[in-house]
Amino acid sequence: MDNTKEYWKSLDEYAGKTNSEDLKKSEFLEGVTDEFSTEKMSKFSRRKFLALLTASSAFATASCSDYYDQGKLVPYTKRPEGFLPGKANYYASSCAGCSESCGILIKTREGRPIKIDGNPEHPISKGKVCAKGHASILNLYDPDRLKAPFKNGRKTNWKVVDKEIIAALNQAVEEKKKIVLVSKKIASPSYKSVIENFKIAYPTAEHLSYEVFNDLNRIGAWEKSYPSTPLPAIAWEKADVILSIDYDFLGREGNVTESTKRFSSRRDVMSNEKFNRLYVAEGALSLTGMNSDYRLRVRTDAYLDFVTALLNEIVLVQYAAGSNLNSDIKNIISKKSLKDFAAENNLDKKLLDYLVADLISNKGKAIVAAGDSQSEEVHLLVNLLNEILGDNKVYDFDAPFVTEKVNRFSDFKKLTDEINAGNVAALVYLNVDPEFHFPADLQFSKAAEKVPLKIALVESKNDTSAKAEYELPSSHYLESWGDSFTRANVYTFRQPVIAPLYNSRQPEEVLLTWSLKGAAEYSENIYHDFLKDNFQNNVYNKKNLAVSFEKYWLTALHDGFVSMETETPASLKFNADSLSGIKYPKGKSKFVLSLKPSYFIGDGEYANNGWLQELPHPVSKVTWDNYAAVSPSMAKELDLENNDKIKISANNISLEMPILIQPGTADNQIEVELGYGRKIVGAVGRDTGFNANVFLNSSGNSWVISGVEIEKTGGTYKIVSTQEHHSLDDEFVKDLHLKRGIIQGGTISEYEKNPNFIQEEKPEVFSITTEHEYNGVKWAMAIDMNKCTSCAVCVASCNVENNVPVVGKDQVAVGREMQWMRLDRYYSGTPDAPIVSGQPMLCQHCDFAPCENVCPVNATNHSPDGLNQMVYNRCVGTRYCANNCPYKVRRFNFFNFRDHFEDAYYLNEVTPLVHNPEVTVRSRGVMEKCTFCVQRISEARSEAKAEGREFKGDDVVVACQQSCPADAIVFGDSNDMESKVSKYREHQLGYHVLEETAVKPNVTYIAKLRNTHSEEA
Amino acid sequence: MSVVDYTQELSVVEGKPPLRSIDELISRPLNTKPTKAYYIALTVTLSMLGIGVIGLLLSFYYGTGMWGNNNPVGWGFPIVNFVFWVGIGHAGTLISAILFLLRQKWRNGIARFAEGMTIFAVMTAGIFPAIHVGRPWLAGYLFPYPNQHSLWPNFNSPLLWDVFAVSTYFIVSFVFWYVGLIPDFAVLRDRATTKIKKTIYSVTSLGWRNSNRHWQHYEMVYLVLAGFATPLVLSVHTIVSFDFAVAVLPGWHSTIFPPYFVAGAVFSGFAMVQNVLIIIRKIFKYEHIITIDTLEKMNKIMMLTGMLVGYAYAMEFFIAWYSGNPIEQFTFVNRAFGPYAWAYWIMVSCNVLMPQLFWFRKIRRTIPVMFVIAVFVNVGMWFERFVITVTSLANDFLPSSWAYYKPTLVDGAILLGSFGFFFTWVLLFSKTLPVVSIAEIKSVIDGSQPSHGEH
Repeated sequence: MDNTKEYWKSLDEYAGKTNSEDLKKSEFLEGVTDEFSTEKMSKFSRRKFLALLTASSAFATASCSDYYDQGKLVPYTKRPEGFLPGKANYYASSCAGCSESCGILIKTREGRPIKIDGNPEHPISKGKVCAKGHASILNLYDPDRLKAPFKNGRKTNWKVVDKEIIAALNQAVEEKKKIVLVSKKIASPSYKSVIENFKIAYPTAEHLSYEVFNDLNRIGAWEKSYPSTPLPAIAWEKADVILSIDYDFLGREGNVTESTKRFSSRRDVMSNEKFNRLYVAEGALSLTGMNSDYRLRVRTDAYLDFVTALLNEIVLVQYAAGSNLNSDIKNIISKKSLKDFAAENNLDKKLLDYLVADLISNKGKAIVAAGDSQSEEVHLLVNLLNEILGDNKVYDFDAPFVTEKVNRFSDFKKLTDEINAGNVAALVYLNVDPEFHFPADLQFSKAAEKVPLKIALVESKNDTSAKAEYELPSSHYLESWGDSFTRANVYTFRQPVIAPLYNSRQPEEVLLTWSLKGAAEYSENIYHDFLKDNFQNNVYNKKNLAVSFEKYWLTALHDGFVSMETETPASLKFNADSLSGIKYPKGKSKFVLSLKPSYFIGDGEYANNGWLQELPHPVSKVTWDNYAAVSPSMAKELDLENNDKIKISANNISLEMPILIQPGTADNQIEVELGYGRKIVGAVGRDTGFNANVFLNSSGNSWVISGVEIEKTGGTYKIVSTQEHHSLDDEFVKDLHLKRGIIQGGTISEYEKNPNFIQEEKPEVFSITTEHEYNGVKWAMAIDMNKCTSCAVCVASCNVENNVPVVGKDQVAVGREMQWMRLDRYYSGTPDAPIVSGQPMLCQHCDFAPCENVCPVNATNHSPDGLNQMVYNRCVGTRYCANNCPYKVRRFNFFNFRDHFEDAYYLNEVTPLVHNPEVTVRSRGVMEKCTFCVQRISEARSEAKAEGREFKGDDVVVACQQSCPADAIVFGDSNDMESKVSKYREHQLGYHVLEETAVKPNVTYIAKLRNTHSEEA
Repeated sequence: MSVVDYTQELSVVEGKPPLRSIDELISRPLNTKPTKAYYIALTVTLSMLGIGVIGLLLSFYYGTGMWGNNNPVGWGFPIVNFVFWVGIGHAGTLISAILFLLRQKWRNGIARFAEGMTIFAVMTAGIFPAIHVGRPWLAGYLFPYPNQHSLWPNFNSPLLWDVFAVSTYFIVSFVFWYVGLIPDFAVLRDRATTKIKKTIYSVTSLGWRNSNRHWQHYEMVYLVLAGFATPLVLSVHTIVSFDFAVAVLPGWHSTIFPPYFVAGAVFSGFAMVQNVLIIIRKIFKYEHIITIDTLEKMNKIMMLTGMLVGYAYAMEFFIAWYSGNPIEQFTFVNRAFGPYAWAYWIMVSCNVLMPQLFWFRKIRRTIPVMFVIAVFVNVGMWFERFVITVTSLANDFLPSSWAYYKPTLVDGAILLGSFGFFFTWVLLFSKTLPVVSIAEIKSVIDGSQPSHGEH
């Protein structure tokens, strides 16, 4: 065989076997592909396989890294109208922190409310709101809020709840059993008509309202004295002489921001108007007492005698007024002479003589006002006193109150009787906590158990709701519609600024839904429409306006209020008969207990608000607890020290609580603030203070409890305060604030004699180096201590603006509170008659800031516009700056306080929404302090730039300044000689604290002038 | 009473031990297995260290809030400990450098150990600035390093000066110590019985052959280094004192601080060295090398520096009065009679009164008594730093911000841990390196040097 093949693959091929050529033609050997079927093959194409492989490895890589959803904000592809990310929107509304209904302006960012301030256009609030109002925003984001309806502790939904409750209420009506609505004071006309509607739908329904601390005595007395005239506000600014009788009008009674503004406007060193003179007669040192020119230390149960004695002196001894009084009245007031009164109460007669002389010589320009806790009789006599002195000119009849009388506890006594008789089928609690609030002798808790249906509408669980069958979440006021009469002439609106965070409804909506009796379902607009209708019928239609209703409504909402016309009373007619029934109690018990509202936590509704719990008491600087305040000599007599527990017993009720020795307290008087000691409350309010509501009297309306026994128990309870209390007796530390020139001041007459007297004591400060020049804007602040009352609103406002964390009682105890501003309180004088000086203290932004040169890493340094700035990212936390700060205003994050407080309580999903996005949230190990609201400065600067105008210092309003009800804080450009702050800096009364340290602080304090008599100068 | 012949310089080494026996004696602890007592001691110090580490971990995990520091009192135990340990670190270099330059032969027996303690004390001290900051993971910001932000530390800050002063001091002390060790390493190398030891000592002795040239260079280097270290002894605590003196705080802002701190540092350093040496000479049977005369001399220095410190206390009061500054006056009266009076009087009695006992020769030469006194001195000096740091901060300008400082358990644990750390090093040192300089001791034994007396 001729083999021509050069290359061969097999011997067969070489041999030229026949089939080898065929084999070559097919790719696979025969039989190999028999099994092959596309059906049986994997469904995945190669493409798909590769895609899956890629994807899975990509996922694997991604999931193994610690990527987590960082909740990044994605910009709108289509921006809603009137909404710019990064730019705040403001809405006018009204505060529901108490029943005063102040007009507020709510700042929202990206749809979430972050700051509450007063509505500047509101005629009553005038841009100011109290500390509670500022901090109430935290309640919105409170993680302990009720998030869904509950029935017997199990989650349910509104539909079921509505259906079941309507059925139950219908049944109650059928059985002719009562349905009782219990609420707090309702100032809203629409809410009231919602309740009226409810009463129509359920004829057996009744409505009872209460306030633990109320003004019924004041209203009652006024109505008796002047039956045809509505209760007016007091125009403090018109008074030259003020006598407050146990009336803390600057601190916690009435509309304190309004009163403060009016009062402080008469303590303005920049105006020529003469200062007012404030006399305060009180048993325990209050904020108002702190600010008095003369303070009379009088037991809280001695004021009937006091006013009688004053009348006696003025009418019967000095014949200065009231000669036309009838003999009955003269007879009444003859019962006590001023001399006797002074002797009985151990008072300086000279002081009383001053008072009487001032009242007589300032007829028509003085005002006497008694506190809410004083009895109707005291108020009646005060009205008489003002009447005969002609002081009723100081009342403000242009803005009278719409008096809304709440029920007395005696009415609730009737309710418990009804319940015990089995006549009540349902109790509806509308944001109230009677189990906690009601006096022990009312036995309400026991009675309520007998009511088959208890429905509690609450923002968060409380002592009462825990025992109710239905626990329904109530919306926060920032999520609610509403209206109210701030005064008769100011109709104020409330509008929601955020959709309800949880499955909650406002009480008005709930009642309206139930009033429908199932005829229609709940709708989101149910109360909105009702409110609008109500407004149209009762306001718009009566006004006869040219604008359409829709337009008027929107304008009203935008403004937050509408003005109403009121009639000015023609003339005041005093009803002298009102005095005939005055009775004088016989004898006094050794100890008297005075119950007062708390300064910041309301009647307990703010117990779970960390900002308010941690806001130091304006006088004692105590946080997180209430206490029994006693006088130093009483403590000595009973061998008590601070933190010692005592047992207070009265009317078969007793309570153990710690004491605090409070200088200025009347001997044998114990004062306790109400609102503390809630048992069922969120994590913040747990174990804070003691419930003294139990001592309230169910038969009367009295916060002055006599027949009190005191016993030392031997136990202790630690009360913490932000400022150490120094003995007033110790010569070594006594009056250091005066000796060191921290507090400077004098009297009016001293100032009139020598206006330069503060400047003359100034130390000569010189520098051995050339000073840095500040061109352009240079920031400075001035604080007028004549106006400042230490009300602490600035601190609350600062906390919200600057994301100041809550540290908790344990950390306050070791001195680690984080507030950037503090209100220092210094005592001088004697323990019985202390002279109190307050001083807001914050970073002084010194030109030669001692903190700056010691920081090893340059984390704190000076800006070209004179700010002492803090670079958090650079700070390593050596704390050297804080050590070297003579004012000790730097605050160190010893922990990550947001994580540390109550086991990361504030690190939930919701609460961080309250943070101001323009301010860094500081973490552990970093120093912080007041920045002069640098974020507001930057915002104002960029606005000026955008508008193409020159940036002026007055464009900036810092948070504390904005909130100060007294307008005591001025901020601006000290290089601008025309600016307000420059004028304060140049003022003769201006001084700097610790000037001799030559750190050149930029906060000027205006020395306090006390308006005492010239011979005392 | 024996008659002392003052015409003759007394030998600082008792007896006239053969030179070879010195080699033998000093290298013996290195060649024998550790005893049970050694292990027990090590267990104790390591346990203390462990407690400190737990305290530190807690502080790192939760934050500086685990300590007693509060708002007016920004500095508490950690800074007190820092100043205390830096102070302890002063005796070594003083003994080895300054006394060397002053030709004090008695220093030869104790210099090595004192220097070792210096290094360990500075190491211990060095822990505190790093851990006391709020964010220790960023402590690196304190060092000047080039970075893209062109950010430098603040050269005005005394804390930064501290960083330089302490690290310079540590480096120089360490080099000085090592140079001194070179001839001894050579001795050990020559005596080594195992290969490993031989290799290690060969490396560490840097090829030392005891040649004349080597000795000549060595002496020169040692002299130069001594001259170099001398100002550092004074500068370190001077700069540490600036941490306080540069501040505006009453009680801190004072020009007396640098000499006062240096005297205090020498005082406490000598007390610590004396304490440890008393134990070492007993265990290692070095009584004839570290003689009672040497100890007496140390006690005399303690008495001197104790009085310097006492003078400073008095002068602070005087200047406070003399300056007419009422806030300053208050601070000092407050120190003595205020809330921290207990600490102040512990300080005064330990630092000023106790060393007065050294006026008595008998006490100066009685080991148990002097030991106890030196312990008190250390306690007192720790309290001195406590008094300075805390009292000024707790009650400064504004009475409103005053607060009482109370240390926590964690503070205590870290303080204990620092002692554990220090003594662990001391123990390891005593078994791994010659605790007395072989070469230097040989040079001061009677007859080792040519003397005019034998002509």
